[in-house]
Amino acid sequence: MHLAWGEEEVTFHEELCAFLDEHTPPEFERGFDYAGEAGDTDESGEVVPAWARAWQATLFDHGWMIPAYPPELGGRNATLVQTLVYLEELARRRVLRSFHYPGYGIVSPSLLEFGNDEQKRLVPAAVRGDTIWCIGMSEPNAGSDLAGLQTRATRDGDRFIINGQKVWTSYAMVAQKCFVYVRTDPDAPKHKGISLLIVDMDTPGIEVRPLRHLSRAAHFAEVFFTDVEVPAENIVGEVNDGWRITQGSLAHERAGLWVEGVCRLDATVSGLIEVARRRGLDQDAAVRRDIATMYEQASSLRALGYKGFASFAQGSSAPEHSYMKMATSEIGKAACEYGMQLQGAYGLVADPERGEENGRWTNYFFMSFANTIAGGSSEIQRNIIAQRVLGLPRS
Amino acid sequence: MDFSLSDDQVLLRDTARTMLAKECPASLVRAHVDDVTVADALWSKLSDFTALGDGPASDLFLFVEETGYVAAPGVFFPTVAMFAPLLQALDHELLPSVLAGEATGTVALAGADGHFVPNDEPVKTFVPEADRVDWVAVVDTGPKVRIIPAGDVALRQTRLVDFSRRHFEVDTANVKSDTLALDPAAFDDVVAHTTGALAAEMVGTSRRLLDMAIAYAKERIQFDVPIGSFQAIQHRLAECSLAVERSIAAVQYAGMTLDASDAERFRAVHVAKAAAGTAAMRATKDAAQVHGGIGYTWEHDLHLYFRRALASEYWLGTARWHHDRLAELLFER
Ligand SMILES: Cc1cc2nc3c(=O)[nH]c(=O)nc-3n(C[C@H](O)[C@H](O)[C@H](O)COP(=O)(O)OP(=O)(O)OC[C@H]3O[C@@H](n4cnc5c(N)ncnc54)[C@H](O)[C@@H]3O)c2cc1C
Repeated sequence: MHLAWGEEEVTFHEELCAFLDEHTPPEFERGFDYAGEAGDTDESGEVVPAWARAWQATLFDHGWMIPAYPPELGGRNATLVQTLVYLEELARRRVLRSFHYPGYGIVSPSLLEFGNDEQKRLVPAAVRGDTIWCIGMSEPNAGSDLAGLQTRATRDGDRFIINGQKVWTSYAMVAQKCFVYVRTDPDAPKHKGISLLIVDMDTPGIEVRPLRHLSRAAHFAEVFFTDVEVPAENIVGEVNDGWRITQGSLAHERAGLWVEGVCRLDATVSGLIEVARRRGLDQDAAVRRDIATMYEQASSLRALGYKGFASFAQGSSAPEHSYMKMATSEIGKAACEYGMQLQGAYGLVADPERGEENGRWTNYFFMSFANTIAGGSSEIQRNIIAQRVLGLPRS
Repeated sequence: MDFSLSDDQVLLRDTARTMLAKECPASLVRAHVDDVTVADALWSKLSDFTALGDGPASDLFLFVEETGYVAAPGVFFPTVAMFAPLLQALDHELLPSVLAGEATGTVALAGADGHFVPNDEPVKTFVPEADRVDWVAVVDTGPKVRIIPAGDVALRQTRLVDFSRRHFEVDTANVKSDTLALDPAAFDDVVAHTTGALAAEMVGTSRRLLDMAIAYAKERIQFDVPIGSFQAIQHRLAECSLAVERSIAAVQYAGMTLDASDAERFRAVHVAKAAAGTAAMRATKDAAQVHGGIGYTWEHDLHLYFRRALASEYWLGTARWHHDRLAELLFER
């Protein structure tokens, strides 16, 4: 074990920094809110602003979008450790790669693993951000119990016909394509009758009804499917084998997210120190202890992430990573709440002229609610830890 | 940052695990309650590892995590994690014999308030194993250090809830001895090293408690099913294991920063001891709760380990105390 990276990583890091120094869009400098992640929108309320699209394409063209991928997929065949160096540096600079993660984060790895050659051809545009993707998993009656999804796809010659409804579909109002999880065998046990279809969002019969987030700004959507015809070759993997892919997608989602999670948490805790100073509370014994406690939690979590990464990089499974999603989101929520509390009566002021940092902390607080729900709630994470990491029997 | 263990470190850890499982079973820890001489046989094995007192903190931490797992009684910790680093900072002639496992020692530092901070009080408190080491290093402000034969100091045991480690009040008022001056910065590193080592020991003890709770949750049947299938038990243990895993990682990070003399090392040690203390308290309470009535008996081994966990949390600074020291570093006073 050692603190410093090796030569190979140092060179890689220098190249990355040179690239970022030259190309990072000024919008990030101008107070882009990494810690709150701005709810996936910029100040103008645009879900994927034009400057962010250009930035993602620039990253791709220079091999810096997903460094582990080959150049034709926006990478440079980087090693796992180099990838970690990359994610750290971006987070340190509070620079986001993209304003829409489903394409590069979920769709691409899933297609590369499970897709046929034709489908793999969709990957470059997904990674470059030229195609915006959304993920149609959740339904009104299938949230945590994703395998309970009911949206039906029936085979009709060389097509599938989809009927049903998805909900909480982020980016649906701007996406060109969707990963839709459908039930293809209603008689099979629920995990065994699910398939994954690639659907063009402009197919007749699809209706997108935007839903505003709690924050008012950002959106997800309800997506309705009425007799939507999809070519049969749009199926990813085998018919009724979709559950395996959902497990893959979520794993891909989790493996790299911890770095961003801990960096966001670090940023939040440093922010708390600043708020305490500005509010004249930096000599208050209780405030100091509370903030130090959160610092302890954040920095031990960071260490846990690295420890997991070390076993992952050596090819072992990393149970440590099961903890990261739950812990960063839960501790983050507590830290955001603390940021409001430090402001006393002004804690809830949403008036940019009056509240601390333009009401940023209330916004963080609301945003932090999503992190303990989306992508597997904290309760579901605890079930997973208990059963898969600690080996306790299923209930 | 690379957290992977080297082949030598894996070997060290595995060797320690196997040796300690055999040499320090619960029966030995239990026997030690009434007869402290049972620790002598264990020391004859542990004394093969005293060279760790002069090696990388990371290696020492890996090893003492395993001694914490078995709640090893005896002079290993004070000799290797307290006395040796102090001798090394002093460049003292006793060091080679300590590293060779031939001489043992402990450190007397805290005053009446119990804080591990230099003072000029003649009576030092919470001095571990002072009745069965060869040497006591007494630290006063300066810091100034006196290395005194243990037979020359007046001792009074301070009985604690923990039977696996014993603490003493050491009165050095009437002892004449040479005084050695130590660079304050070097002393800060000694304290960080010792505190980090205690945190490492604690995470081992917490891991033991968690392992016992998980094993019991799998085997105990109520309402016709293992209690580990109840979600209330599952979520309690999931949170407990998170606290324990965090503390293990924090200890490892602290060891790495100490070995690199990194500027972060003092923060990292406060984080490690605070995380270890929080996890130890959590593991103590959760393991007791999951065991139900059986865990409340003297006959069950659980208390041997949670007594050790408790005693470690209250020694060398509680989590609260370390959070407050950490705040001084974060807020620059
Ligand atoms: C901001 C945001 C963006 C999202 N984006 C997308 C997207 O792009 N695509 C998509 O498909 N979905 C998306 N989702 C949906 C998200 O994945 C679901 O909200 C999540 O899976 C939880 O499902 P649910 O909302 O139906 O809650 P439910 O599953 O009804 O859960 C309600 C409560 O019950 C608890 N609970 C449920 N089951 C158990 C159990 N077995 N044990 C203990 N407690 C349990 C939960 O933890 C929760 O506290 C998004 C959600 C949010 C908030």
